[in-house]
Amino acid sequence: MTKEITLDGAPDLRRIYATAALRRGNDSDTLPDVRYSRAGIRVDVDDLVAYSRVCRFPVTGALPSTYLHLVAFPLQMQVMSGDRFPLPLLGAVHVENRIEATRPVGVDEPLDVSVWAQDLRPHRRGRQVDLVSEASVRGETVWRGISTYLSRGTEHADTESSDPPSTEQLASVGAGPLWLLAEGTGRSYAAVSGDWNPIHVHALTARPLGFPTAIAHGMYSYARVLASLGPRLPASGLTSRVWFRKPVRLPSTVRLRTAFERSRTLSVLENATGEIEHAVVENSW
Amino acid sequence: MASQSAQRTAPRAPRRVAIVGGNRIPFARSNGPYAKASNQDMLTAAVDGLVARHGLAGERLGEVVAGAVLKHSRDFNLTRETVLGTRLDPTTPAYDIQQACGTGLEAAILVANKIALGQVDAGIAGGVDSASDAPIAVSEGLRRTLLAANRARSAGERAKALAGLRPAHLVPAIPENVEPRTGLSMGEHMALTAAQWGITREAQDELAAASHQHLAAAYERGFFDYLVTPYLGVSRDTNLRPDSSVEKLSTLKPAFGKGDGATMTAGNSTPLTDGASAVLLASEEWAAEHRLTPLAWFVDAETAAVDYVHGHEGLLMAPAYAVPRLLARNGLTLQDFDFYEIHEAFAATVLTTLKAWEDPDFCRERLGLEAPLGSIDRSRLNVNGSSLAAGHPFAATGGRIVASLAKQLKEAGGGRGLISICAAGGQGVVAILEA
Repeated sequence: MTKEITLDGAPDLRRIYATAALRRGNDSDTLPDVRYSRAGIRVDVDDLVAYSRVCRFPVTGALPSTYLHLVAFPLQMQVMSGDRFPLPLLGAVHVENRIEATRPVGVDEPLDVSVWAQDLRPHRRGRQVDLVSEASVRGETVWRGISTYLSRGTEHADTESSDPPSTEQLASVGAGPLWLLAEGTGRSYAAVSGDWNPIHVHALTARPLGFPTAIAHGMYSYARVLASLGPRLPASGLTSRVWFRKPVRLPSTVRLRTAFERSRTLSVLENATGEIEHAVVENSW
Repeated sequence: MASQSAQRTAPRAPRRVAIVGGNRIPFARSNGPYAKASNQDMLTAAVDGLVARHGLAGERLGEVVAGAVLKHSRDFNLTRETVLGTRLDPTTPAYDIQQACGTGLEAAILVANKIALGQVDAGIAGGVDSASDAPIAVSEGLRRTLLAANRARSAGERAKALAGLRPAHLVPAIPENVEPRTGLSMGEHMALTAAQWGITREAQDELAAASHQHLAAAYERGFFDYLVTPYLGVSRDTNLRPDSSVEKLSTLKPAFGKGDGATMTAGNSTPLTDGASAVLLASEEWAAEHRLTPLAWFVDAETAAVDYVHGHEGLLMAPAYAVPRLLARNGLTLQDFDFYEIHEAFAATVLTTLKAWEDPDFCRERLGLEAPLGSIDRSRLNVNGSSLAAGHPFAATGGRIVASLAKQLKEAGGGRGLISICAAGGQGVVAILEA
């Protein structure tokens, strides 16, 4: 029996991060059967504008599909910071994300959002889990997100991996936007997303967690890709997937290359020399 | 060979230009719900709404022409950047124009002319302005100092240049609603003209109240359902006061002019407003190919300018000169119209213009006409409200009026409409639509 917990407001991410260091996860191979929800969420236009400026979306009154991830994100953290959640929150790496945008969502539509975890499974380098988020407006599901997080631990070398599609077809795509991501990019995105995970904030806070510099939020890079492709993608019936590969160390210059097909785009976000693949993004409709 | 080349250079006959549709976001008083939206955001929303409504996603249009009066220097390519953010085919060309409050109508004239000449088959004319997200520049002193420092070839020279910096240089330059050559605001200019023509407070308040009542009635009967797309939670112009009345307006204190003769208030003047509009224009053939029914035809247009600097003429009187030239060219009288759209920069602007056309001396001495143009049937004036009620995001007003008049003509089952818009710098843009 799923335990349904309805929250009145967004969980305080700072409190969750502050206490996350104390939780180590456990060996359990079952996920707590719990679902966190919030009803009637109203998006603040000022917040949306701030997010849109950082990620370069135009403010058209419709929510960027990655913005709904942001609305659901505190609930994801709530699920993952639960006492019985098997993976530790701190150090968990966002490895994949999938968004199904059924239709455009207006900034003035009241959102009901539910989040739960499912499909705890082995990964070559540890264990991974899917955090499923669903947004609906007056009972109609308008958006679904699946965020896959990896917790490094016992290796499972023989596990079948979920690799991104081949980027071979991009070999002939020679040009694309080049973005200079400043050292403070992580702080800018943290300010609009509330995701102050120390690995994104500053080199000094990232180093204890194993990163030589601060790294860009995956959802920031992904949002920049979707903003750049924006008008070439349909507003309804879009499935968008991203595979986060090597982290973007800040500061960095990255390049986006995209192949366009009739009902699909395939993009790679890589470093300026094309030697490091940061993310692969596939949109289909 | 000679005959072939003659064929090539022979001018083509002009084509009829259809106004196929229009779309705008609701206009909002400045520093309100759109306070943080940029010109590019709002123009993108207006154009994308137009694209969605007419099934133009992925379509390559001949051109998109738009502009903003208050424009950031970073927005040098505002319209092209907007196109790249919409669902139009990215191979649609675009350019920016600026003719103060005449921008939106001038954009429509430019697109219409290219369609008439066969240079393009379809295009979008638009305009946008934000009085909230306004450009603020560094002071002239700071700008010169920074440029000098930038030119410096050594650290010493740079230090010397920067040493010229004074505390006063740090005060930013904020855009002002002031005519550069007279130092007077537009309202102060209008107050002079209104006093000169003896325009009464009561007449101005009556016009303002009618504007609100007409706009409210137009929303009530669904007139704007296909002309306005909600934006950021706003679905109607926020300046609209459906319960506006002469009694309420009469309680306001004068905002422009001096002493007992001061008649212009915040109620009978337009407020600073944020908003955007866009109009789809096309040849008859293009509209038919796209199964779109024209609302009206863009017949002709005229612009005029007056010498206002030393008081020879009122700043906002140029439309009074443009209209008779347009009428003469089209063999029409002022009474040959079913609807009149005279932009309400101030209630007094509309009333002065109408009074000037009725005045034998003005028409003879200033316009060179033997007889005055005469009066109009006031029940045909701004029948769906105008800028006093809707607000006036400078460059977006032309698109609002063109689309509204075209729809009104369509609804009426045909007819002829006159548009008159005054602009800063002593200019006026006027046009004729027919359905």
